[in-house]
Order: sequence, then C-alpha cells, then structure tokens
Amino acid sequence: MSVDSAYAVELKGVSFKRGSRSIFSNVDIRIPRGKVTGIMGPSGCGKTTLLRLMGAQLRPSGGEVWVAGQNLPTLSRSDLFDARKQMGVLFQSGALFTDLDVFENVAFPLRVHTQLSEEMIRDIVLMKLQAVGLRGAIDLMPDELSGGMKRRVALARAIALDPQILMYDEPFVGQDPIAMGVLVRLIRLLNDALGITSIVVSHDLAETASIADYIYVVGDGQVLGQGTPDELMGSDNPRIRQFMKGDPDGPVPFHFPAPDYRADLLGAR
Amino acid sequence: MSETGVSMAEPGVLRLAGVLDYRSGPALRKQGKALVEASKEPRLILDCSAVDKSSSVGLSLLLAFIRDGQATGKVCEVRGMPEDMREIAEVYDLDEVLAS
Repeated sequence: MSVDSAYAVELKGVSFKRGSRSIFSNVDIRIPRGKVTGIMGPSGCGKTTLLRLMGAQLRPSGGEVWVAGQNLPTLSRSDLFDARKQMGVLFQSGALFTDLDVFENVAFPLRVHTQLSEEMIRDIVLMKLQAVGLRGAIDLMPDELSGGMKRRVALARAIALDPQILMYDEPFVGQDPIAMGVLVRLIRLLNDALGITSIVVSHDLAETASIADYIYVVGDGQVLGQGTPDELMGSDNPRIRQFMKGDPDGPVPFHFPAPDYRADLLGAR
Repeated sequence: MSETGVSMAEPGVLRLAGVLDYRSGPALRKQGKALVEASKEPRLILDCSAVDKSSSVGLSLLLAFIRDGQATGKVCEVRGMPEDMREIAEVYDLDEVLAS
C-alpha cells in the first residue's frame, strides 16, 4: 500500500487471538481515505479490538495492518511512536486526565510530541476548544464537566496534533440526544473540512448510519458485510438484516455459548 | 513545492512558504519573530501564497506574527491564503480574526 493509496488503513488477512480463543480470523478491511467509515456489530463482537489493531495497540497473530504505507506490526518502537502521531483516538470513556484542567488535557499531546513554544500551544489549544464549542471551559476540571462536554474535550485533544486518521470508539454511548447531535455534526465537520479519515466504531445504528459513507458489519470473528448504509439496509444477508433491523432472533444467537442449562442448574445425573 | 521557510520578501512583506506543520513550526516561529521585529515598516503583510500545506501550526504562526507586529505598532494583514488553509481557518472560526 502506497502513501497515496485510496485507502488510509488496510487490514489484510488479519487474525487475532486471546489465549486460545480466536477473536478475528483472516479479516480484510479497507478504510477509504477522507471518508467516514463505520465499523458496526453487536456488543462484544470485537469492534474495539479492531480499532486497537489499527492503532497498533494490539499486535495481530497473523496478517498485515497497513497505515500510510507502513505495515504497523513490522515497525520498531520508535517508528510506531511516529506513526501514531498521525492517528487520533477518541476513547469510549473520554479518558481525560482527572487531575489536569481542560487546557492541560488538550495541550498534553502537543507537549509530548512537539517542540512548539508555549504561546503556539496556547493558540492551538484555543483553536481546538473553539471547534468543539468549549473554549469557555478552558479552566474547568474534568469533574466539573457533563458527560457530553468530556467527550468534546476528548475530541479536542484527539485532534490536537491534526491527525490524518481519527478513530472514535463508541462515541455515542451514554450521550443525551443533544450531545449526540453535537457529536454527529462535529465528526462530519472535522472529517470534511480538515480532510481527516474517520473510523467510527459503534453499535448505535441510527447515528452511525447518518454520518457514515461506508459501513463494515462485523460478528463471529469476521466481516459479515460491507457497503453504504442504504446498501446494508436493503441487504438480503440474514445476519446483516438482523443487526440493521435490531431483531433479537436470527442467525446471530442471543445466548453466548454455554453448557446445557438443565445440567448447569441440576447437575449431571 | 516551495521550500519551507519564512523570509522578508520585500520591506514589510513576510513570506511564508512550503509546509507549515509541527516539525517546521518551532524554527519558523523564531525566524519570523526576528524578521518582524527587525522590520521598520509601519505595516506587516503576511503573504501565504507560497504555502503548500498547512496544519493548525500555520494558523498559529500567523497569529503569533500578528501579535509581534501589533506589539511594535504595525498594521497587519494576511494575504494569499490557499483555499485549504482558509477552510481550516473556518473550522476554527479564525477567518474573521485573521481578516482584521
């Protein structure tokens, strides 16, 4: 994959195991450059694991993870540190530093990764907070912010270094409708205006379908389907249809694999 | 592609060129500050027409040079901002700030 590839991220034949349990087996995913791509699937299907593989926080047991012309699992520690500068991550929890105020939270990656002067760091922090509508909250501590505000501060921090790729891990979880609407608008705005490639991992169908240009549906350790939101809504694949329509019964089982219920309760006789 | 740098192209015209990012930013800031402070012109024009690519750092450089100019009583103006740099400025609501 060259730096100029139409894809910002490519997973080729990626497999990942936790112990002896296979989480993904021979998965191929291509994330189009400059688009919003949703990675969807039921809770616990490994969506966040996929994101961590793309960010090289996890190492695949097999396959290749290409980002900007580099196969991440083959990089040295220092090259990986450089490669990560072009990736921003909005964690599910927000992951703000609770003992730092809003300014210092957003300034943190600038202090760690750049040699910019204090005045330029201040300019950039103010710009990022202005973009998420929270410049006025610059002196507040994280425990003084609502859940939606924390997520927006985390977003300001995630774009501090002007990443080429921005990964969102369940950005809509726990957000009220207004905060959710603000986030949806911000993800689209930042993607389009800054030319970012956005990857949104989510099980929130309506919100993700409303902003994603392309969606992968994952489950059972593989890619179940892919396409535009409209294409997936009209899919004949029963697994995709079950997920897109939110049906509890279908090919994706409601129950996690378990021993016989009767035997579990009454014991083997 | 222009070579990345900052220079006083003519008296009172500070020319930014090339790629303005986190790598080039710290040095450009120091060089530009020295050039602005050395200028005796009553006005400072920040010419961006040779900028190939800019991140937030490019916008911060413009703000910093405007502050330098204003500190020495100069009237400052930004010119020739490329379209993609202008779009980034709009995301950060800087279009009016830089126009003033």
